[in-house]
Amino acid sequence: MRIDYHIQEPIALDAAFDVEGFTVLLGASGEGKSLLLRAIAGLAPARGEPFDGMAAQHRAVGYLPQGYALFPHLNAWQNVAFSLRGPQRRQQAMQWLERVHVAECAERYPATLSGGQQQRVALARAMARRPQLLLLDEPTSALDPVTRDDVIAELIAEVHEFGIPTLAVSHDPHLAAVADRLVLMHGRGIIQIGTPDTVYASPVSGAAARLLGYRNVHRGRIDQAGDAARLVWPEGGISFPLETEKPSAIEVDWMIDPSAIRIADTNKAPPDAIIASVEVRHRDDRITQLGLRCGRARLWVTAPPDQHLPETLAIQLPSTAIRYWPR
Amino acid sequence: MSVVTLLLLAAPFFGLVLATHWRSFGFADGDGSAVAISLVYSLTALILIIILGTPLAWWLARYPMRGKWLIDALLLLALLTPPLALGLLLATMYGPYGPAGSLLERAGLVLTNSASAFVMAQFYSALPYYVIAARAAFEGVPRELEQIALTLGHSPWRSFLHVSLPLARLGLAAGIALAWVRALGEFGAVLIVAYYPQGIPVKLWVNLQDIGLSAVYPLLWVFFLVAMPLPLVLGLAARRRQLI
Repeated sequence: MRIDYHIQEPIALDAAFDVEGFTVLLGASGEGKSLLLRAIAGLAPARGEPFDGMAAQHRAVGYLPQGYALFPHLNAWQNVAFSLRGPQRRQQAMQWLERVHVAECAERYPATLSGGQQQRVALARAMARRPQLLLLDEPTSALDPVTRDDVIAELIAEVHEFGIPTLAVSHDPHLAAVADRLVLMHGRGIIQIGTPDTVYASPVSGAAARLLGYRNVHRGRIDQAGDAARLVWPEGGISFPLETEKPSAIEVDWMIDPSAIRIADTNKAPPDAIIASVEVRHRDDRITQLGLRCGRARLWVTAPPDQHLPETLAIQLPSTAIRYWPR
Repeated sequence: MSVVTLLLLAAPFFGLVLATHWRSFGFADGDGSAVAISLVYSLTALILIIILGTPLAWWLARYPMRGKWLIDALLLLALLTPPLALGLLLATMYGPYGPAGSLLERAGLVLTNSASAFVMAQFYSALPYYVIAARAAFEGVPRELEQIALTLGHSPWRSFLHVSLPLARLGLAAGIALAWVRALGEFGAVLIVAYYPQGIPVKLWVNLQDIGLSAVYPLLWVFFLVAMPLPLVLGLAARRRQLI
């Protein structure tokens, strides 16, 4: 389904893209993502297709706001039956609850349900309206971190089963990674559209890379020193050699994968190595993530879990592993 | 501390129990009709207050506008006016020589010493209490829930009926109870614009003047008996989850 919306108030925003399967619109807080969803649902003034000029109650959308907004005075099945009419409404509501696997919660009130259960009841309520488009506002924000991945998997499976185009807006890269289609929003506009594979493989800018959750995305400048170019990182207070054909003296966003950074022994460190102290260690069963203090910034480095690491390290940033985008 | 407060609150009523002549408990002439008048007219005033006050309270709660403080000031003014003064103002406006009163009289509506005048005095004295309570109740309803009802295909009116009203029910019930108590107990304004027909508060005063305290207490007991059920039932019913 093609979405093409123009919003003037309270902020100016233009957005045009296709929603296919489970589409995630990824953007930072304050970009107006929620506003866009509200506009599509007819709850905020805007022009655009589909549903242009229709009152909210006539738009065939299923809208799940952040926190799900279940009616607290109605139990689960009554919430689902809210948009249904006729003597069969209870039975139909129960069928929807069964489809999202929470039929056992039918008589319970929203306050007694977990985040995941509330989301499913809200999904059943939205689906009972028979929408042409599902709109999910930050669907992962109210979830318990422990069960979050399962709830997302369940949600996506259900959305696929319903076969209704779904637009989820989020700032959560975890959700973006499991989308069928990914739309990146920055500076009140769409900056990149594609499958998660293509978008993750080649973000169009530093802002896109930050949105996608890449670590080690920083501002810098390319300076020419004789024949060789160097990448100057003012925040980190350092510079290092860079292979580039770009003209010198341009402002860039640059990025390096944490696993590409080489750790060396401080005693045998090559002359261009950077000495940095370990600020924080994230350890799980497979890898160790080290947060290294570099000037006023932090650089993340991935190390094998069994490697012994002193408090002060020498690191090298291989020129071939650095990606950069002119600003 | 709370016990002391409760004792202070109960003291006058304890006094009433002691002061009532239980052996010669009897009613003065006209007490029965005063009870009927109070109940029927207060209920009429209450219905008018709900019908006219609810849309106003909703509008005040939901639609931001410039100069709203003027409306707030008007509500406050209505609350602040001493009952006797309110009666005088009503008589000035709606009395036989008042600008509205003379017009309405030509149309057949007499707003002095009539059932309509009685209901009008009660309406004016209780309306601001209801509007203020109902407005706060509507303001407490998350707007998002009303909007969700729209996206689920309900018209704004159905959304109001099925979401806003049930979620505001506690505050609305409190507002109705408050308006009922205020209307039923109104003395000053009613005394000025409608000495007749006599409801319980005016009849209490008349009994005191004509007979004495012994004729006041029995009627006061009846007043409590008839005034109490509505706010009590409202309070209990609104606390039940599936009322509406």
